[in-house]
Amino acid sequence: MIRWFLRGVSHRRLTTRFPRSPEPAPAGFRARAVLDPKTATADPGRCVEVCLPGALSLDGAGRPRLDAGRCIGCGLCVDACGDGSLAIDPGYELATTTRSRLIVADDEREADISPSPLGGAFRRSLHIRHVDTGSDGAIEQEIAALLNPYYDMQRLGLFFTASPRHADVLLVTGPVTQPMEQPLRRTYEAMPEPRVVIAAGTDACSGSIWTGPEVLGGVDRVLPVDVYIPGDPPSPIALLHGLLLAAGRVSEASPPRLPGAAPSPVGGAV
Amino acid sequence: MISLQERSCRPADFAAELARIGGRLMLLFVTDSGSGRELCAIMRVGSSVVRLRAPLTGRSYPAVTPRVPAAHWFEREIHDLWGNVPEGHPRLEPLVRHGPELGDIALPANGEMGAGHQGAERLSGPGVFVFPYGPVRSGVFEAAQFLVQTGGEDVAYCAQRLFFKRRGAERRICEVPLELAVLVAERVSGTSSVAHALAFSHAIEVLSETEVPPRAQAIRRTLAELERMYNHIEVAVRECEDAALSVAQAQFAALKERLHRLGGEIVGNRFLRGAVVPGGVRFDLTGELADRTGQILREWERDYRHVLAMLLRTDSFLDRLVSAGPLSERDARDFACVGPVARGSGVDLDTRREFPCDGYGDLQVARHTDGDAMARMEVRFQEIDASLELIREALGSLVDGPIRHELGAFVRDAALGAAESARGETLYWLEAGGPDTLRFCKLRAASFVNYGIFNRLFDSQVLTDFSFIEHSLGLSPAGCDA
Repeated sequence: MIRWFLRGVSHRRLTTRFPRSPEPAPAGFRARAVLDPKTATADPGRCVEVCLPGALSLDGAGRPRLDAGRCIGCGLCVDACGDGSLAIDPGYELATTTRSRLIVADDEREADISPSPLGGAFRRSLHIRHVDTGSDGAIEQEIAALLNPYYDMQRLGLFFTASPRHADVLLVTGPVTQPMEQPLRRTYEAMPEPRVVIAAGTDACSGSIWTGPEVLGGVDRVLPVDVYIPGDPPSPIALLHGLLLAAGRVSEASPPRLPGAAPSPVGGAV
Repeated sequence: MISLQERSCRPADFAAELARIGGRLMLLFVTDSGSGRELCAIMRVGSSVVRLRAPLTGRSYPAVTPRVPAAHWFEREIHDLWGNVPEGHPRLEPLVRHGPELGDIALPANGEMGAGHQGAERLSGPGVFVFPYGPVRSGVFEAAQFLVQTGGEDVAYCAQRLFFKRRGAERRICEVPLELAVLVAERVSGTSSVAHALAFSHAIEVLSETEVPPRAQAIRRTLAELERMYNHIEVAVRECEDAALSVAQAQFAALKERLHRLGGEIVGNRFLRGAVVPGGVRFDLTGELADRTGQILREWERDYRHVLAMLLRTDSFLDRLVSAGPLSERDARDFACVGPVARGSGVDLDTRREFPCDGYGDLQVARHTDGDAMARMEVRFQEIDASLELIREALGSLVDGPIRHELGAFVRDAALGAAESARGETLYWLEAGGPDTLRFCKLRAASFVNYGIFNRLFDSQVLTDFSFIEHSLGLSPAGCDA
């Protein structure tokens, strides 16, 4: 055992300084698509066709609309479109407090930034209960990775708890399959107030690629969701960002707009 | 390329015929081509693959399970999804479906078990009670339920209950445009994305008789072995956590994180998604990226060897794994187990050698005969060594050339695709509905067969062995449930 102790203390520090200093994603990391609805000129129909989860759609005027809450970051739309109106964004900090803030469209207006759902009640300490409602299993490993030396979420006062009775946050993964609806509700009801529900992962945000009788299509079909963390799966930093957003310690992400694109309907093109 | 030998018979003779053919049952399913239902089995016999078919005329047929135990879950699945009754099945309870009342039984707070549910093999005696663990479990785990029957210390019986996560992947794969279907396959089991994409792509490549360029094969091998490594390390992390070895857990978790970061750098996804497509790969491993991969893995290997050597000298780890969750070779063969679970019990089986694809050459299959959690762990450690060697070899064989060939129209009616995930043999059976559409998909993750023997691992085990046994299997409920 002394060998393990020495190994532990002799190792250099690995832990990220996030959120005190930003942690950039590697170049080429496929977090989500971003869109400039103004400049889409070529064949927007083709990019919509190759979007499996239906994150890209066309509005009444034939202009593309992008929903980061459905995007799986495959990048097929960027290849298909090729007119520069779409790109893949390597960002990590993608969580929002409203579903509408995950959407960018030509006629959209900047949604207000809402205050922390917990009202700052748990700024220093947050206990998390996780429920899987049909994820693909990768996000559970990313959540577990929050305890590894690179992220070490306990340094931020974040803890997993076995009992919903001790939990402030319900961290839900998966598109909510039929047999998991009741266990999800019962876990939520067992939690004391105030409580926060986080939909973690693109399939929890919207159901994403899963449609059909087996799934309900997103956590907000069952429970009121306070924080959305898109991503397929969201990286550990993205999960940390979402958890800290719930506690009111970081600010939320912008809609998936191409950098440089104008945020309001009256703005100009790139 | 997997070629099939075709056989057919009457449904009344199906079970007898399967037993006569012998070999290992890979798949058993019902398909409906429009002209009526058909019972179909895919068997591995010697070095060939046999498809046995029987038209299902009546509502029932004589069950296969009494003669071929490996059919047990397949037949319950058929019963749940199609309503055909395998007459004489020893335990025909719901497997895939959860009746309306099952929302309740799934809850930890509710100890009641109705008759007819899995786990109905209920023991009685002074002090024996049932502890339903899951589907919301203590800690961060996927949804699955274990009905532990115990008098306090010894596990008298433990039944597994899955399929809380069924998302209808087989249906989705046929519904979506063919060019996008691989994205669904990648998300069946998110921690075996490469293996599922490979197995699916192999089947599509047989249907359309498409060759994969050599450069793409080398990239595929690199990604498949990276995936195997991070999954095997994940098992080590979990086992260290169970043994309360915090430093070892942190060290292995850091090693795992480094592999995910490498994936994020080379294909833009920490779980290596979006790279494998039918006909080749989407992203090239340029000289610069290949050099970087080689360099990162050299440093990784040095640290891994150091931590592993320490772990294998730590008695408190070895004591918990040795003799935990024993699986006999006979059970492993009877129930057609795959992957490290089968190899830990002496079964010489690896898809990379059984159905060589993507340029896998002569492969030394790691094997142990003890059949316990330690044997499975040692198989995994040996496979990590082999994976490192395979990646070195693949990075050295990145010959110039294309990374993707265009798919032709389908020229065959049906094809089997296979790949070895970290958990074992992953299968996709695809039937073409037109030149570029799929009519039917039957997928089988390694976890589907390996979960089937979960209840057989608790012979003279105690409650505190539970997590060691569970994690030694290293399974994915998402893959099992699909």
